[in-house]
Amino acid sequence: MNTEELIRLLSTDVPRIPRHALGRRIARGVIGGGVVSLLVVAAALGVRPDLGRAMLGFAFWMKWTYTVSLGILAIIATMRLARPDARPMRWLWVLAVPVLLLAGIGVGELADTPSRDWLAMWLGKSWMVCPWVVLSLSMPIFIGLLWSFRRLAPADLRAAGAAAGLAAGAFAASVYCLHCPEVSAIFVLTWYTLGIGLAAGFGALVGPRFLRW
Amino acid sequence: MQQSEEQLRAWMIGGLGGDAAAHAALLRALVPLLQSFYRRRMAQAQNDIEDLVQETLIAVHTRRESYDRDRPFVAWLYAIARHRMIDHFRRRRATVPVEDLDQILATEGFEDSCSARLDVATLLAGLSPKQARSIRDTHIEGLSIAEAAEAAQIGESDVKVSVHRGMKTLAARIRGDLP
Repeated sequence: MNTEELIRLLSTDVPRIPRHALGRRIARGVIGGGVVSLLVVAAALGVRPDLGRAMLGFAFWMKWTYTVSLGILAIIATMRLARPDARPMRWLWVLAVPVLLLAGIGVGELADTPSRDWLAMWLGKSWMVCPWVVLSLSMPIFIGLLWSFRRLAPADLRAAGAAAGLAAGAFAASVYCLHCPEVSAIFVLTWYTLGIGLAAGFGALVGPRFLRW
Repeated sequence: MQQSEEQLRAWMIGGLGGDAAAHAALLRALVPLLQSFYRRRMAQAQNDIEDLVQETLIAVHTRRESYDRDRPFVAWLYAIARHRMIDHFRRRRATVPVEDLDQILATEGFEDSCSARLDVATLLAGLSPKQARSIRDTHIEGLSIAEAAEAAQIGESDVKVSVHRGMKTLAARIRGDLP
């Protein structure tokens, strides 16, 4: 096809692009995938029976704040990396803030607990499955983000994949909070973070292949 | 004729607003711009340039959501063009038959150019980021002064001065006057 024909063809389909189209597209990917993860939790794992009571307590909101804040920061990074002319992101150190705050709460908990109970508090009842469940639940969200990226133009595919994986992992962990009855900060700090990190690593690994355009 | 950044950006924003005529005008104006962009970088592959220009136009069209109306248009365009070129090379590399590879590497002076590139990278690392970028853009990437200024979002005279000062520093360093 010659170039002039191509241009004529492309110019027959020029929909209006609203100003925040990129953010909306990414939000649609996350929410679409998040709903699937939510259904998986509800159907396969079950929402914890005492959710209403737990929502009145501190632990639930600590976990929720931790995972959601990581997710929001990762989504902002993903949106930046979805543009080909992305600038260096020196602000990413703020990701350390939620981690350090949670570590602070963890230290407080350890100080209030006799040391013979530390191991039980750290491992909880579900340390062996928690990271893997978070990683699995992140997959629908990651796929949703891959869908978003089909109309976007990341230049650094590995970084974009890592950011998308981090966002997917963090929001998957937020969804998992609806099932997971663990309450200690050091549990969340270790095993949730491990699951979220695995999801980010997975994203970095497959980004160059799946985000290619 | 090459259009100015303001004109291209106005057409792009018009196209994003749903104006098909502005979008067509933009794509038409991009053709000579992209041709000269690729021609300057791909001496070996002149036959692929038309394909690359078309692929880039398609990417500009289908991925226009990734353009931020508040940022320079040409920098966005060249970022896409560069990505398409790298991808093009990657695909080409993948189809080079293995038996001929050492032949190709030898004739293209692959090893020499690799080590030269490493030396240049080491030298440039000793300069300020602006000087290093200006030299890399104008002397290695082959951008014109105007293109380099646009890409780095600094003035043309700033690019010229940065190149000049950077080169002076490099020359002094190679002579051994500077650490």
